[in-house]
Amino acid sequence: MKKLLALVLALLMVASMAVVASAEAPTKMTLILRAGTYCEVIKACLPAFEAEHNVECEVMELSEGDLYSGISLDAMNPTGTYDLCMVDGSWMAEFTEYGVLANLSELGYELDEDIIPATTAICYVGEDVYPAPYYGNVTVLLYNKANVEAAGYTAETIESLDDVLAICQKAQEDGKKGFIYRGDSANNLVVDFMPILLSYGGWVIDENNQPIVNSDEFTAAVNAYLELIATGDAEVKDDLIASVDTGAGTMGIGWPGWYKPTADSTADYCALSGAAHAGDTAFNANVYGVWTIGVPANAPDKELSVALLSYLMDADVQLSTVEMGGVPCRYSSLQNEEVLATYPQYEVVCKALESGVYRPVIAEWTEFYTILGAELDNIVNGVKTVDQGLADAQTALEKLMA
Amino acid sequence: MKKANGTIRTSNSSMKRFGLTMLSPTFIVLLVMTAYPLFFTIFYGFTDYNLLKSPKRGTNFIGLENYADLISNQYFRQAVGNTVKFAIFAVIFEMVFGFLVALYVKSLKRFQKPMRTLLLLPYLLPTVTVALSWRMMLSPNYGIVNQVLTSLHLPVYNWFSDIKTAFWMLLVIDVWQNVPFVFLLLYAALQAVPMDQYEAARIDGAGGVRIMFDITIPNIKNSLALCALLRTIDSFRLFDKVNLLTGGGPANTTATITQYLYNFGIKTLDFGFGSAGAILMTLLVLILSSFYIRKALS
Repeated sequence: MKKLLALVLALLMVASMAVVASAEAPTKMTLILRAGTYCEVIKACLPAFEAEHNVECEVMELSEGDLYSGISLDAMNPTGTYDLCMVDGSWMAEFTEYGVLANLSELGYELDEDIIPATTAICYVGEDVYPAPYYGNVTVLLYNKANVEAAGYTAETIESLDDVLAICQKAQEDGKKGFIYRGDSANNLVVDFMPILLSYGGWVIDENNQPIVNSDEFTAAVNAYLELIATGDAEVKDDLIASVDTGAGTMGIGWPGWYKPTADSTADYCALSGAAHAGDTAFNANVYGVWTIGVPANAPDKELSVALLSYLMDADVQLSTVEMGGVPCRYSSLQNEEVLATYPQYEVVCKALESGVYRPVIAEWTEFYTILGAELDNIVNGVKTVDQGLADAQTALEKLMA
Repeated sequence: MKKANGTIRTSNSSMKRFGLTMLSPTFIVLLVMTAYPLFFTIFYGFTDYNLLKSPKRGTNFIGLENYADLISNQYFRQAVGNTVKFAIFAVIFEMVFGFLVALYVKSLKRFQKPMRTLLLLPYLLPTVTVALSWRMMLSPNYGIVNQVLTSLHLPVYNWFSDIKTAFWMLLVIDVWQNVPFVFLLLYAALQAVPMDQYEAARIDGAGGVRIMFDITIPNIKNSLALCALLRTIDSFRLFDKVNLLTGGGPANTTATITQYLYNFGIKTLDFGFGSAGAILMTLLVLILSSFYIRKALS
């Protein structure tokens, strides 16, 4: 009798534990994100969502290349692994054309008016929203304060690329490095060069998406870029930041997510004026590198994914990320008085985001920048002349876009 | 008699069945892990298959177009040249240094074991760790190498961004990491060389160099060939160091075949093009290593 009672009790216990476990087992969500500050700010926001929705989030932090292939590979599965993905603005055309991302409008999500309008340009296909702009990355001119002052300038008096060159040449005369550029990959080289190209009124494709990389503006921009980089060195991201921070280097194209200037920091950043020479037309010369967030079209539970996306895009949640290095694409965060009192550089970021330029929204962008970057690399290393390199790039890109 | 023959036949066929049953797991694994991917790589090499685009636009059979594009592409040709150059230099340096280290350690009367362990450390480190450590040491800002050179009033370089130094720095790092592998194989081979041959040579009055060329090297020549073969194949597959440290630049001077295929085939998800490149690379490795294989088989 005792044995029977013990057996019944044990069975009851196991059954109740199973019931409790199944009732309370949190739903697992998998997020595939770009490693770095972009991901850290999301991770910091997740616990509140996890508690509210009884979910457990696993975050995969990947480099840009791995993130692209990770999302693409998973898109082939009928039911995907990822509930939320971070997407670079330049992949948008490809991802929407080939059905990688879910239509957020159909899932009931819409972008609100607090989001800086220019940053949403690539988020729409027709009237429908696909990803939402999450991290307001936009190219800025990272500079060492002391080196700029030594050349007789301040951030406010840098009015054209001529001024940038003058500052860098002065630094070089003083035995320091002038302009530091990122020559470690095709993508970095192209993005580093784009603000210079835009300042000369050039672009990489025309209105028919055909390459125009051997135009007069492009050639002038490359020549100016060569003059600029001759004052400095090619360095990887961490070295570039260290160079400008220590004053060993003077300037470089950077992103707000790289550096958090304070009142007593040795370096700071400003937006490029967009003018090549003093008195020239000022173009929009700040290139977007906005990291958007979206829901994969094959996400296991799209409703839950949209709930997470809505939570992460919430104005208050985004404001809370500023302290951790977040750069929301929202006026309520970037123009917040308390935020500006502590982080005055957000004013610069806000202006740059209002007038930024997205990289071409073409499905072939990955191939495009790989080809262009390879030829630019040849030019900056003196393997090809400017004319030869740009002619070769034009030929290869015409073949690609045919 | 008939009955006995029948029994033998039955026994033979059951032995055959047993043998086939025992072989089948290996056969299935080989089929799934080697034959199937190989077949599809060859097949995709003749198509314009793109992972993302093909489900929508379809996959077309394009014959030898991928191969023609590869062979006519200046970057691919440069990558092949870089790879062959890298493999030749890497194998020569690794073999020479590995052999010298093996001879040195074998000659030690004391501390052979700790020396062996210490020398193996670079080979035990993950390549990513090796690459990042070297990147820090060679950083133009805070790298110890440039600091030492500056203090000695010697010229400093931006090692991985300078067209004159990038390729050679990758070679130095690869040699540093892989010399221990060569050392280990040759050290093991040296243990098997009969001591009486050395004693006889010494009695005959042979010097160190003579002993090395007439006794040591002939005795370990198969190990040397195997080592060279393995290092050639491995050098041809060089990717992680290049991808982490130079990305194939500056000006494509460090781009290897694998790096090229990553940039123009894998990263862009053009798996058809990438497959054709992989097949060409395999053929190239087979041709270059056939010398060693023939030597090993003979």
